[in-house]
Amino acid sequence: MSYAVETENLTKAFNGFVAVNGVSIRVRRGTIFGLLGPNGAGKSTLLRMVCTLLRPTSGRAYVEGFDVEREPNSVRRIIGVVQEKLLLYPVLTAKENLELFGRLYGIDGEELRRKVRDLLEEVKLWGFRDRPVGTFSTGMRQRLNIARALIHDPRVIILDEPTNTLDPQSVRWVRDYVKGLKGRGLTVIVTTHDMHEAEELSEELAIMDRGQVLDVGPVNELKSKYHASTVEDVFLELTGRELRDELSGRISGRGWRRRRSGPGSATLS
Amino acid sequence: MEATPLGSGIRHALLIARKDLTEFYRVRPRLVTMILFPIILMLLFGYMFPSSGSVSHVPIAVVVQDQSPQGLAIAQRFTYLAQSSGLLDVETTDSLSWAQRQLVMNNVYAIVIFPRGLGAQLSSGGGTVEVILDQLNPTLDSAVRGEIAQIFSQMDAPAQISAGFPASPGTLDVVFQGLVPGATGSFEFLAPGIVAMTAIVGGLSGLAMTFSRERELGTLDGLLMAPISRLSILFGKGIAQIVRGAMSSVIVFVISVALFGVKVYGNPLLMILVLLEGILAFTGMGMLFTSFVSDQESAQLIIMMIQFPMIFLSGALFPLLQLPWWLRMISYILPLTYVVSAFRAEMVLNAPFSAIAPQVYGLAIFTVAVFALAVPLFQRAVTR
Repeated sequence: MSYAVETENLTKAFNGFVAVNGVSIRVRRGTIFGLLGPNGAGKSTLLRMVCTLLRPTSGRAYVEGFDVEREPNSVRRIIGVVQEKLLLYPVLTAKENLELFGRLYGIDGEELRRKVRDLLEEVKLWGFRDRPVGTFSTGMRQRLNIARALIHDPRVIILDEPTNTLDPQSVRWVRDYVKGLKGRGLTVIVTTHDMHEAEELSEELAIMDRGQVLDVGPVNELKSKYHASTVEDVFLELTGRELRDELSGRISGRGWRRRRSGPGSATLS
Repeated sequence: MEATPLGSGIRHALLIARKDLTEFYRVRPRLVTMILFPIILMLLFGYMFPSSGSVSHVPIAVVVQDQSPQGLAIAQRFTYLAQSSGLLDVETTDSLSWAQRQLVMNNVYAIVIFPRGLGAQLSSGGGTVEVILDQLNPTLDSAVRGEIAQIFSQMDAPAQISAGFPASPGTLDVVFQGLVPGATGSFEFLAPGIVAMTAIVGGLSGLAMTFSRERELGTLDGLLMAPISRLSILFGKGIAQIVRGAMSSVIVFVISVALFGVKVYGNPLLMILVLLEGILAFTGMGMLFTSFVSDQESAQLIIMMIQFPMIFLSGALFPLLQLPWWLRMISYILPLTYVVSAFRAEMVLNAPFSAIAPQVYGLAIFTVAVFALAVPLFQRAVTR
């Protein structure tokens, strides 16, 4: 079976600091794959290598069978990326932004006009098409950012922390939209440190910390493997044990004192 | 004891000030700029407004066309007095065209012509000596004009005769003129410098700024993830800077002509050639900086440190002769110096191609070298 995305011992070091250390993952076609990890775990670095923005120090990565180092332009043609930072030009209008990126991907004429219209309608921004992106709210910008990533009909879409800094309504919209992408046959990779998001969206999950994948598998399998009821418990089991033990130890007596400070309340001091 | 609102306000203000100063101290380029910049300013502005005597050894050409004993004696006497003045350095020749070329190339700042038949004219009562002045340079123009006039007025002084120089048998008239008709002023000197400077400064700073801005915004990633060559991103941005530079220079050019009455004598094609070369060379330098600089603030600092002294040392704003020799040496390695001198000679003096060819070829070699260095460095910088 071939995979939409496959990495083999992928490693990236910056001046001796190993940000991603021998990561091997396989993402099945048409699934939503979650990449969960604390800040600095190496999630974004891993994905920047997959989408050809960073050159791996060692190891290999393939997108739909194309080698990211040897065939970067083939990878770029079939991959769409939504980063935490918006890849949009604030002084250009929504329509101009999509047209620019469409043309960079070789789409032109009637096809481009149709795609721009369809996508702007889909992300509920057709009515704002001629407004500069700089005047948009964060939620509107993120919707346009997603439309930009889809302008060239990618087969794989990578969403790096797509709901960070969004209001609850926009978060809901983005999550529903991402689920809808799977229905269209796209392979979706989403990074997050939001446990609920990871659980809600992902079919398979890789948990990363300190540049390494600690475990990977279908969400339900991971939960039963670690006797956990939620992804959060799995995550803490794998990445947060030291912190959790330290906190519980301190609260139970080592340095932390619990005292009553009034009816129905307690203070930690 | 609780602090008063004023006391805690001062304490907070001091805390914030300390934090800001720590940040400032830890970013080394800012610290270096703070120390170096005033020194550079003092150096540049100090020589921009010269004190008396700071300009000396201004080269002039003496063209001796009259080979009669009387003609030669007068030329010799002029040369002796000019050399003794301390202000002028004399180069003697019999070729007027060679001297004119040196004037256009800014190698000499005036030509004194002792024409054929001068000796004979003087024997019959009076002769004329022609002086062609450098019209590019109003400051030097007046100093050189005054000195030459004074030397001619001394020619028949008793001290000269007792020093062995014979008195002229007739009256000597001195006619001052320029290579191009009419009087030129400060605007003729400044306009070409400012046109060239405006055009190329955009190339130098614009490219580094646009890349660092896109890097910070994240939009550069959007371009880098498109299935296009890295070079097309680089050259696309380069073209935008070239167009902006050209537009700026056209605006300054039109304003100079329309509002300040600057006269243009040069060949438009040669002027465009020199400007385009300059814009390309500086866009290449901008590419080079782009490869090293990642954030906007550092880009601004580095560019300011390079751009500001270069503008002053290029001769765009004041004559290079006002600078001491060691600063002039720095001027001669700056590409802007060659763009400004070639563009000025072409625009104001209608210099033939041969006169500005050294600058044109030098800039072409510089541009090719900068691009050869900048392109691979840029490619490496965007795919770390």
